[in-house]
Amino acid sequence: MKLDPSFIGEALLKLLEALPTTLAITAVSVGCGFLAGTAIALVRVYRVPVLHRLAAAWVTVIRGTPMLVHLLVIYAGLTLIVDTLTGRLGLGWNSARIPMIGFAYLSFSVTASAYCSEIIRSGLLAVDKGQREAAQSLGMTAMQTLRRIIFPQALAASVPNLTNFVIGMLHGSTLAFVVSVVDINAKAEIVASTNWKFFEAYLAAAILFWAMTILLERAGGAIERRINRYHKGGVA
Amino acid sequence: MIRLTGIRKSFGKDDVLRGISLEVNKGEVVAIIGPSGSGKTTLLRCINFLERPDAGEIRISDLYVNCSKASKKEIHALRRKTAMVFQQYNLFRHKTALENVMEGLVVVRKMPKDAARERGVRLLEKVGLGDKLDAYPSRLSGGQQQRVGIARALAMEPEVILFDEPTSALDPELVGEVLAVIRQIAEEGITMIIVTHELGFAQDVASRVVFMAGGAIVEEGPPAELFARPKEERTKQFLRRLAPEYSI
Repeated sequence: MKLDPSFIGEALLKLLEALPTTLAITAVSVGCGFLAGTAIALVRVYRVPVLHRLAAAWVTVIRGTPMLVHLLVIYAGLTLIVDTLTGRLGLGWNSARIPMIGFAYLSFSVTASAYCSEIIRSGLLAVDKGQREAAQSLGMTAMQTLRRIIFPQALAASVPNLTNFVIGMLHGSTLAFVVSVVDINAKAEIVASTNWKFFEAYLAAAILFWAMTILLERAGGAIERRINRYHKGGVA
Repeated sequence: MIRLTGIRKSFGKDDVLRGISLEVNKGEVVAIIGPSGSGKTTLLRCINFLERPDAGEIRISDLYVNCSKASKKEIHALRRKTAMVFQQYNLFRHKTALENVMEGLVVVRKMPKDAARERGVRLLEKVGLGDKLDAYPSRLSGGQQQRVGIARALAMEPEVILFDEPTSALDPELVGEVLAVIRQIAEEGITMIIVTHELGFAQDVASRVVFMAGGAIVEEGPPAELFARPKEERTKQFLRRLAPEYSI
């Protein structure tokens, strides 16, 4: 067997068809994970009664189990629950109507929420308590203080970790093939086996992921530089 | 006018304030001095509820607050009548000098941005930072940051400005510029309570000096009198140790 360099290009073009799927899974899981993670982090940092214990439990359970397991558990569990419910209620449809990518969206958002909450939480903890006191002494409400003073600084402190997190979710999205979603990786698998050129197809997938990762690193770097205008590197 | 009555605060078993009563008249500059751990900073922070007093009453002009059952609304009302200058400046690090001064006006007082900007520029010029409007705090020296902090407090036009050791974190050569600004606004008749270790400065600007020790006010009086002829043994000890030039 020998390498067929021209097929790498050919495969790349085919893989581009699956690019939107990979981007959609990444965007949805990062977006939902960020919103849920922020909520979880706030609940924990502000020690909201009862909820902060639930939030802490959520984080240990989700971080304590692999992303692939989330996907499988949600796939099997949700199917079971939905079919039981629709059957009982006589709704006349079943879980087969749920698009497969929906399971990926949901389960990766679950995964992302736990990891992202820890990133945001560490950002919130990095903000000096004098910042809150200054805002309070001006008469700001707790909400104004959070929105205008604490959160922007927490977010700024979290940028390097958030970039890392987005890259992780991008790469993790390849697991979606387990529920027969054709993302870049699954597409590479198809291209490889139909042409019997595995190495070339996988290399093409690697190149595509690397390119996207470089773009994310660049974007993260640009945001960091903007923030460094006031941060001068490091918080507190 | 500000009247504190029976302010008590303890952290766990530690009684930091054992029933402090203090009256400050409009336009008065009161310096609170005393050894560290005497509760002077805690007292200051109790006035705007950065620390919640366990008991006591606070009256600022027409606002009366019973500390042990103060509502959120009352605490906010109290904070609107006061402003604080912090030992560590506590400027908002993601905002420029001008934005720092405008923040409270726009967000809390709902002042239109243009008017807030105008006031911000005027006050920053007043504290000698007219050329640093767009500088972020990280680009300013400690003395400059503290002067922005003072402008931020002045902007709110409070009934009283609370200074918490405003020069303690500064390099010695920067202390002068901050004290000069405080002295200048003291002369304008703004009511101030200043916790300080700068006895010379206290003597210079304060209309009254309060000496605290062990969570209580030991002695108070006009600076000339208190420094020259302290009545209490505790005060004499403190002055002897801190400022031998005052010792009798």
